[in-house]
Amino acid sequence: MFKKILIANRGEIAVRVMRACREMDISPVAVYSEADASALHVRLADEAYLLGPAPSVESYLRIDRVIASARESGAEAIHPGYGFLAENATFARAVSQAGLVFVGPSPEAMELMGSKTSARRAALAAGAPVVPGATEALASVEEARETAARVGYPVMLKAVAGGGGKGMRLVASEDELPSAFETARSEAASAFGDPSVYIEKAVERPRHIEIQIFADSQGSFVHLGERECSIQRRHQKVIEECPSPINDARLREAMGATAIEIARAANYVGAGTVEFLVSDVTREFYFLEMNTRLQVEHPVTELVTGLDLVREQIRVAAGLPLSFTQDEVRWTGHAVECRVYAEDPERDFMPSPGRITHLRVPAGPGVRDDGGVYQGAEVSIYYDPLVSKLAAWGRTRAEAIERMRRALSEYTVGGIKTTLPFFREVMRDEEFAAGRLDTGFIPRFNERRAAESSRADEPSHEEIVRRDMAAIAAALAYSESERRGPQPQPSQAEPSRWKMAGRVALHNSRV
Amino acid sequence: MKLHVEIEGEKVLLEVEREGGRVVAEAGGRRYELEVRGVGEGEYLLLHEGRVYECRVEQAQGARERGEMRVAVGAGEYAVTLTDTKHLRGARIAAGEHGGRAQVVAPMPGKVVRVLVERGQAVESGAGVVVVEAMKMQNELKSPKAGTVVELRVEPGATVNAGEVLAVIE
Repeated sequence: MFKKILIANRGEIAVRVMRACREMDISPVAVYSEADASALHVRLADEAYLLGPAPSVESYLRIDRVIASARESGAEAIHPGYGFLAENATFARAVSQAGLVFVGPSPEAMELMGSKTSARRAALAAGAPVVPGATEALASVEEARETAARVGYPVMLKAVAGGGGKGMRLVASEDELPSAFETARSEAASAFGDPSVYIEKAVERPRHIEIQIFADSQGSFVHLGERECSIQRRHQKVIEECPSPINDARLREAMGATAIEIARAANYVGAGTVEFLVSDVTREFYFLEMNTRLQVEHPVTELVTGLDLVREQIRVAAGLPLSFTQDEVRWTGHAVECRVYAEDPERDFMPSPGRITHLRVPAGPGVRDDGGVYQGAEVSIYYDPLVSKLAAWGRTRAEAIERMRRALSEYTVGGIKTTLPFFREVMRDEEFAAGRLDTGFIPRFNERRAAESSRADEPSHEEIVRRDMAAIAAALAYSESERRGPQPQPSQAEPSRWKMAGRVALHNSRV
Repeated sequence: MKLHVEIEGEKVLLEVEREGGRVVAEAGGRRYELEVRGVGEGEYLLLHEGRVYECRVEQAQGARERGEMRVAVGAGEYAVTLTDTKHLRGARIAAGEHGGRAQVVAPMPGKVVRVLVERGQAVESGAGVVVVEAMKMQNELKSPKAGTVVELRVEPGATVNAGEVLAVIE
């Protein structure tokens, strides 16, 4: 087994991987950017190496710097986490050429699945159903128009090199197409360095359900069941569950078998996720894509199966066989995960970077928080605004939701806006409780909320008292700050950090 | 201390007297005798008739002069604006739409990637005006009303702060 592993990532996933390393008595090595010099993942590591300035292209995406840090530290393997270099075949290749082990699949498998068009071809060859559409990148808006007309509106525009909802647009009709085509291309170019997009038919009331698979280098393939990830905003998941509220063992077996066939066709090794769209109307499923890495939402699978996916990844990377067989996989109870983002749900989930002035994280029975910050830490403008992943387990879905509701009521974050208030409301929503989920959940939920608040009655006595308490607390804070006298306004004393960052970016783009 | 308080759109007159761990307050004619414990910077534990109210007050930078705060009570959160009757501070600055003019304001810090209109151009309500990118997401900012673009204050590549006016529609 490895003695030392470098984690080529930051934030909560770097912390998560370090936890598995510690349990396996492996020394974790961190890498960081100038913006992350005192980040949690650095504080928890045994060693830490500076990669470069804050922008990820100059730090976390610098293959040469990451490998040099691994060499310098004497690490034997590199775990990429997710995002950044996790699905970059060039990186995986460079890691093995440097005589190190990449914790993940082969570069060939990553390349095959990394391009959505070749992944579709591979899935078709493995006998998996796919959504109707073109498998090739679109050369022009005219070609987009022809393809869209052929498969029929509504259609989805997707980035060939895509993931994480970037470069993705739902197009309802032909007149929306030119502007959506431009936006998708430009977003794809800035996120992945490749503007290519393709078209798929949009599935009706689609549920987004994915299968976690695992393979070892001895050729064993298993699936760990499904995760329901239908609650999305901007095509990014915000709430995930295991199992799906559909909880249909036959559907699970069928999807699991298909996922394994696809993985087998790619000669896959390690942890991977095969994403499907499932029509809520017909329960037919279609292959969407395969993610050749650990997923953000892996904790719900871990809570229900009792397995540690990161530990298993490391074992497989070290050449060991899987520590369990398909027959030994048991799904016990139900788990729900909420992604706590630094975003303002009241303003269409706009990013809300800043300093965390206050933090209280929930704990207690059945609750797990995978965080990457601490009180006083800065949520940077440079990276994904994921603050933590809060997961709750219960014997039934209802019990898991009750626990999540309780955990959310304990969770307080100050200084930045988070998605916590949104989750508190969703956990009380009737449609959510009934498990009626599809990717259109959030827009419908917002409509219900708007309708509810427009016919809101007079506030209750309890609510009036709460507001009075808020007013009294504000007055107490005001009188304390008055007594201390006027304080210097740091916002005027130093130039805006954002503007500084802009100048840095500008400078770098010139050279 | 006497303050005008605006909370959730309701205006109330608030009178607060604090003596150590005791607070007597009257808000909108409702009288409270409370126990108060400071439990951290801007954090107050208020006890009223045995009920616990955990409050956390945040004063946003710059908003302090206007008396704007956010107060969390348990898991709920309220926007509170205070006006000190003594100083008459906190006169609220009317923002957004006034008269026939409406502003397109950056809701977050970011970088302008595209400007979709030209000065003097007529726009529909809801039409895209500027595309701002932050945290790898592109957001199209839309015109709040139909009218003419009379001011355009940014160009592609510019970095903008939250609250910055990017365009004015008349």
